Amino acid sequence: MTLNFNKRWADYIILSLSIFFVFCLLFESYIAPPALVAWLGQWHPVLLHFPIVLLLIAIVLKFVGTRIPPMLLTVAVISALLTAITGFLLGLKSGNKGDLLYWHQWLGAGVALTAVVWYYLERTGHGAHRALKGLGAVLIVFIGFAGHYGGTITHGEDFLALPGSRQEEKIPDNPLIYEHVVNRILKRRCVKCHNPNKTKGELLMTSHDHLLKGGESGSTVIPGDPDKSEIIRRLTLPDDDDDHMPPEGESPLTPDEVEILERWIALGASDTLRLDHLDPTEALLTLIKEMMEPDPLEKWALLPDVADSTLQHLNSDYVTITRLAGTTNAVRVVMYMPPEYDPNHILNLRPISDNIVEFDLSGLPIGERELGLVAACTNLEWLEIDRTPVTDAAMDTLNVLSKLRLLKVYDTEIGDESVPLFMNWEHLEKLFLWNTRISENALASLKSAKPDLSVEDGITGDLEAFFVAEDSIPKQDPPQIP
Amino acid sequence: MEEKNKLPDENPLKVNRRHFFSQLSVGIGSLALGSLLIPDLFKNGPEALTVRPLGIPHFAPKAKRVIYLFQAGAPSQLETFDYKPTLEKRMGEDLPDSVRNGQRLTGMTSGQERFPLMPSAAKFRQYGKSGAWVSDFFPHIARIADDICIIRSMHTEAINHDPAITFFQTGSQQSGRPCMGSWMSYGLGSENKNLPSFVVLTSRGKGNSQGLYSKLWSSGFLDSKHQGVLLRAGKDPVLYLNDPEGISRSDKRHLLDQVSSLNKLHHVETGDDEIESRIAQYEMAYRMQISVPDVMDISKEPESTIKLYGEDCQVPGTYAANCLQARRLAENGVRFIQLYHQGWDQHGNLPNEMAGQARDVDKASAALVLDLKQRGMLEDTLVIWGGEFGRSNYCQGNFDPKNYGRDHHPRAFSIWMAGGGIKPGITYGETDEFGYNIIKNPVHINDFHATLMHTMGLDHEQLTYKYQGRRFRLTDVAGNVVNDLLA
Repeated sequence: MTLNFNKRWADYIILSLSIFFVFCLLFESYIAPPALVAWLGQWHPVLLHFPIVLLLIAIVLKFVGTRIPPMLLTVAVISALLTAITGFLLGLKSGNKGDLLYWHQWLGAGVALTAVVWYYLERTGHGAHRALKGLGAVLIVFIGFAGHYGGTITHGEDFLALPGSRQEEKIPDNPLIYEHVVNRILKRRCVKCHNPNKTKGELLMTSHDHLLKGGESGSTVIPGDPDKSEIIRRLTLPDDDDDHMPPEGESPLTPDEVEILERWIALGASDTLRLDHLDPTEALLTLIKEMMEPDPLEKWALLPDVADSTLQHLNSDYVTITRLAGTTNAVRVVMYMPPEYDPNHILNLRPISDNIVEFDLSGLPIGERELGLVAACTNLEWLEIDRTPVTDAAMDTLNVLSKLRLLKVYDTEIGDESVPLFMNWEHLEKLFLWNTRISENALASLKSAKPDLSVEDGITGDLEAFFVAEDSIPKQDPPQIP
Repeated sequence: MEEKNKLPDENPLKVNRRHFFSQLSVGIGSLALGSLLIPDLFKNGPEALTVRPLGIPHFAPKAKRVIYLFQAGAPSQLETFDYKPTLEKRMGEDLPDSVRNGQRLTGMTSGQERFPLMPSAAKFRQYGKSGAWVSDFFPHIARIADDICIIRSMHTEAINHDPAITFFQTGSQQSGRPCMGSWMSYGLGSENKNLPSFVVLTSRGKGNSQGLYSKLWSSGFLDSKHQGVLLRAGKDPVLYLNDPEGISRSDKRHLLDQVSSLNKLHHVETGDDEIESRIAQYEMAYRMQISVPDVMDISKEPESTIKLYGEDCQVPGTYAANCLQARRLAENGVRFIQLYHQGWDQHGNLPNEMAGQARDVDKASAALVLDLKQRGMLEDTLVIWGGEFGRSNYCQGNFDPKNYGRDHHPRAFSIWMAGGGIKPGITYGETDEFGYNIIKNPVHINDFHATLMHTMGLDHEQLTYKYQGRRFRLTDVAGNVVNDLLA
């Protein structure tokens, strides 16, 4: 079946565009297009949608055996050629072509030229029906891969990743500052455009060497001199400045991230510097420690599911159970003193013991059984048992609570025997401990054993004296006119 | 019987004229068009509103409750935290027009021919590791300099007390919107079902006072259960809470059950949601008969605590007593505790009046922060201290260093915050050498609200309430979280 083509002009256009395109491909390294021609390259992202859609329609029609309207095929092939040519011009501008761009270019060329062959066969009626179908199948494969690589170049490698699958690696305990922190920031914000496949501004940010080498605007990083480093200059420009990085439409770095880069450069931009090499007063230390702290919601995502109805059921006038945020399964439990205390209010919480992350039992007459329930809350991070009749023996059962961050035990009868416990909990950050029977010696040894632990031992010494003293506001002594 | 089982939402009486017309106009076509017009439909942004359950923070909060020590009348920033040596050097000179730059004046000084600069009557010193400047009026607050975050760059648009304080409370200068405490109660719910989630305590100093009205703790268009409950000083903290003589608690229970069943019938008939609120409030009042006297009773507070807050804290109705009360309420899970201390409107006689006002609040405010800190409550309680605007750097009335006054000033003033996820030991923002205009890091009231909500785990753009055809927020259409303040 020969298609009825009577548009000779279309033949001429297709022939000449094909010749021009093949010429371009053959002599790529000798071509330096004038600005206006190079500008045509910018139209590539607009044009490329036409051949994809039109060719696919034509191929589908071919497969189902319906006659392809001649004009459809003509326009499809012309648009494929124009897309390929503009794509070629756009590719010229990127200089260093990475793997992705290389494959995208040749697959794209494959699409355009196969489409031309198909046009020729349909036009002359030479091709057997089955061969033409095969050609269609080849075209689909070419279009698919060329399109995918093109999309990857524009939107980044993981643009098709499923939600939630883009997990970043955890920062190790004593990270290398370049590899685990700086590189992580660059990966998150910059590498999308500064990678071997898409080297914008001739700058590669995927390795330490390349980063120090810089790009076309010169030294990206000048070790020891953040103010002169191009990267810091661009990050800190006003948002609407054309040179600001990341460019409009991309998510900017947070102020903390910029400061981390700035301090790292100021300290010499080394790739062997580790966190524990830093001076304790160095701002970078706190910034990185903050970054290492996982988002609580991520941490809590591993907790077992708990239904709203369960929480509602366990809630009562004196027990308040709420999710800590949004739909997380981490739960906070607070109990207030009811007119008649009943241990079952607490013991009934066993079904959700794995979900309890914060537990406030301040001021309640809790006994050993209730503390047994507390000990079963293995995910507990925050525990308030101040002003309760808790004892050293009962405290000892709590040693399984390894995730504990904060503990309030002030105003209780616990003594020195509980101190080793406090030393054991490695995540414990804050301890409220005044008005107990713990001796000053034991307290001092705790403080020296765990210098990072903040131990609150009440308002004492000068501060107490100052507040307890009589009103100390001085009589006014108005300023004199000079 | 059938009638009784009907859900209130389906009550036929709930269809009003608006409903009727809107139902009429909805067709498949308009639905489709509507979905195309949702501007954020394909935007990769925050989740849709309906996904966010009410009563739970949007993200992990740093603060679970707020104690707001509101200094009503507007204490002068120039005698508290904003030290300006230039005012001493140029004392008596006129404020340059280039600095005032067209700022509108209140009716009280607009007739004044001269605007002579007046320095602080109190000396300033630096305190703590941060070297924060604090005036000699506040020796105790100075001692907690490393626990607080001083913001010297607050600004507002209002120049008179009522609009300014309304703006601070509700995010709008015109009254009628819900106030901060009500928004928090609406967004986060109550932690203790036996106490209101929003409580107000007031006290009054000897200084020149401006009125306080219950609209400052109104829930506006939100459900009335989010309204602030004023706890009065003395025997009856909540009026009419106690049962009359001869009524036992079980009689009361019986009465409430009967009233409640009648109310429920009425609710089915009319579908008015306020009836449900009313039932809930009766129940709350019943439980408050036990919980309020309990929380207000400070007789078991140890001597050391009384000494810390000052002897005044045993006198009901004083600021010190309210501070101690605030801690007790916070301990008992009240979400938002709003204190007001009146008497900071020093248009004249500032040195004496302010010394008196400072004596009222200095020790108790600092004691509250220390007390919260030792109890580990500063970890999740946000304390805020400040007034509704600042005061002018020029003298109002006669130029007399012993008895000067200062007029209202909206362009810059100072507040401080402590705990609840706010960076301690920093001084944020800066004013020019005259203390008149902000030159660094301005914080608008909307930004302040956004930041406050952020510490509580709420996204200020997401917590909305639809009323009269549009969605309202505490920050209305403005406000940015001030990340620099977050710990």
